[in-house]
Amino acid sequence: MQGNTACAEGALAAGCRFFGGYPITPSTEVAEHMALKLPKTGGVFIQMEDEIASIAAVIGASWTGMRAMTATSGPGFSLMMENLGFAVMTETPCVVVNIQRGGPSTGQPTMAAQGDMLQCRFGSHGDYSAIALSPASVQEMYDLTAEAFNLADRFRIPVFVMADEIIGHMREKLVVPDTVLRVDRKPLQKGNLPFRADDDLVPGFPTFGKGYGVHVTGLTHDERGYPCATSPSVHEDLVKRLVDKVESARDAIASCDIVNPEAQVVFISYGAPSRAVQQVLHDTRRDDVGHLRLKLVWPFAESLLSRFPDAETFIIPELNLGQISREIERHTDRTVIPVPKLGGALHDPSDLAGLLEEVA
Amino acid sequence: MRLVIDESRCKGCNLCTLVCPYRIFRPGTTANRRGVIVPELDRPERCANCRLQHLYGRRLCGVCQMICPDQAITWEEEGPCEPVKVAIEY
Amino acid sequence: MTYEDWFREDRLPHIYCVGCGNGTVINCTLSAVDQMGWNKEETVFVSGIGCSSRAPGYIVTDSLHTTHGRAIAFATGIKMANPDLKVIVFTGDGDLAAIGGNHFIHGCRRNIDLTVVCMNNMIYGMTGGQGSPTTPPGALSTTTPYGSREAAFDLCGLAAAAGANYVARYTSYHVTELTRAVRAGLESPGFSFIEALVQCPTNYGRRNKFRQVLDQIEYFKSHALLVQKANRMREEGKKIPDDMIIIGELARRNRPALGVRK
Repeated sequence: MQGNTACAEGALAAGCRFFGGYPITPSTEVAEHMALKLPKTGGVFIQMEDEIASIAAVIGASWTGMRAMTATSGPGFSLMMENLGFAVMTETPCVVVNIQRGGPSTGQPTMAAQGDMLQCRFGSHGDYSAIALSPASVQEMYDLTAEAFNLADRFRIPVFVMADEIIGHMREKLVVPDTVLRVDRKPLQKGNLPFRADDDLVPGFPTFGKGYGVHVTGLTHDERGYPCATSPSVHEDLVKRLVDKVESARDAIASCDIVNPEAQVVFISYGAPSRAVQQVLHDTRRDDVGHLRLKLVWPFAESLLSRFPDAETFIIPELNLGQISREIERHTDRTVIPVPKLGGALHDPSDLAGLLEEVA
Repeated sequence: MRLVIDESRCKGCNLCTLVCPYRIFRPGTTANRRGVIVPELDRPERCANCRLQHLYGRRLCGVCQMICPDQAITWEEEGPCEPVKVAIEY
Repeated sequence: MTYEDWFREDRLPHIYCVGCGNGTVINCTLSAVDQMGWNKEETVFVSGIGCSSRAPGYIVTDSLHTTHGRAIAFATGIKMANPDLKVIVFTGDGDLAAIGGNHFIHGCRRNIDLTVVCMNNMIYGMTGGQGSPTTPPGALSTTTPYGSREAAFDLCGLAAAAGANYVARYTSYHVTELTRAVRAGLESPGFSFIEALVQCPTNYGRRNKFRQVLDQIEYFKSHALLVQKANRMREEGKKIPDDMIIIGELARRNRPALGVRK
């Protein structure tokens, strides 16, 4: 099955019943498959007039209690940024799949890249925190998309599935699990203020149409949901909580694969370059070479680096000019070697093996 | 029923003075505590809604209330009182 | 129950300036909603950004105050996901016709079952009086200090051409007619568009020879021309002056609607 189709199947298995989308290469197959399958499951597929409207419709649908998603690529992702900030501010659960392609601008529509990794974290204005998953196989397109809905509902936040053109258009074997774990958003207890957070810093969800009478606004709001845009303390408390609810859980939700924790040289990768690293490990069969493959990139849990206590060097191949390398450099005093690559082709495993020879 | 202007909401735009068919609202002359010149009521007992809402069981006229942008015009229930003869102008 | 019960009493008085017509339009809309006999639980108000879009915050139902211009897109998501909800959109001229123009025409094209009430004050009020797509030619604003040189949008004509099922225009002076028009919009399936011209004494009137609140209302009163009369005048070959505001029900048809529970 194709990666994009697996993504749509994973969403359907997770109970996604709303898709608002706009065609864009290389993510269109997600929308096409949803258009085919959603009506048969009682769901709603709607092709909106642009990506701004797509994410708007997804957020609107989410407030009726539905699991909702959209899929896009770089240019559409840029258009969505304002409304993604709205989703963060109003704490709306939703899933955005970004099948990354070469940028900036129209760039390389049919080639892979990982150039939106910082955009998904920092792209909308203001301070916030985000959750981004990065699948490296067709199986993970299915699994991680399904998991994205659980994370979105748990933290009431937009969750990004940051795949790339290679994974999206790759065909591989997919094992469909019998059941998919589903953790739904917790409802707001009647009588509680709609934006007063519980101990986990996440308030209960007041679904529209259930009589909560909630006012949802992108303005800075107090715990009643009423606009309160001029109070410094209300704004500070709100934004800090929006960041903390994700950041305080970054170790708990961290998801990765670890190979050879005793290694001195460790590859760190996410998404498609992981395949090249796996090939290197397979070919060289060296015990002193480790691999940390991030399935969940944001929020980056720096404790993962200490899982490699003997590591002296981190090698980080990415299909960009070192976006995540910068984050890792921030958290370690070991040598960090970014291996940036642009143009759409994957790192050649022999190049990575050659680099490995030079380093150790 | 008694016609009242909620002084805590009225911002003194005087739109009510324009629409009342009985010209019950008159532009005010003195500012209240909030600095708003609230319109004055000229013999509000002439208001059709005051007199006849209970008889008809629905709101009559009510144009002043609808046009009031600040939701300041309402009718209050009155306690039992002595009947007063009112001259109606047509 | 009366329409006053729909207000979020603890948030009043609202932020609108003295004499702003938006409050009147909220009254008329809520009165129409109340006449429909709808429950507060099943009604959702959606808005974008601007003066008009603050309205849902004063209404006791579920409400979504969204990003600039995107209200119709958000409302489309809500309505498609749960067609049992009655969705009403408050928007302004800048919100709807400028930044949200695309969503507006596609809402009309889809004929999705929304009621859109546009408070057209012919200016960007909240940001301090900049020219909008509906600022009449020659009118002064902070970004058209020598008079607007662009043609103004006919929002109702746009909605009717794009396929809305119900289109009407009134002003904040015509409260009874406006209430009736909103009610007709709520009743008719598909996209209903009601344009309410409102006075903006602070930012429009002050710069355009309507120095008092009542001046602009008097202008609406004297320059409103019912569409039936305008048609009659056209048939008789009489010229309709350019500054007349054509009011009334401008379109009513029965195209298939989206978002209606079968």
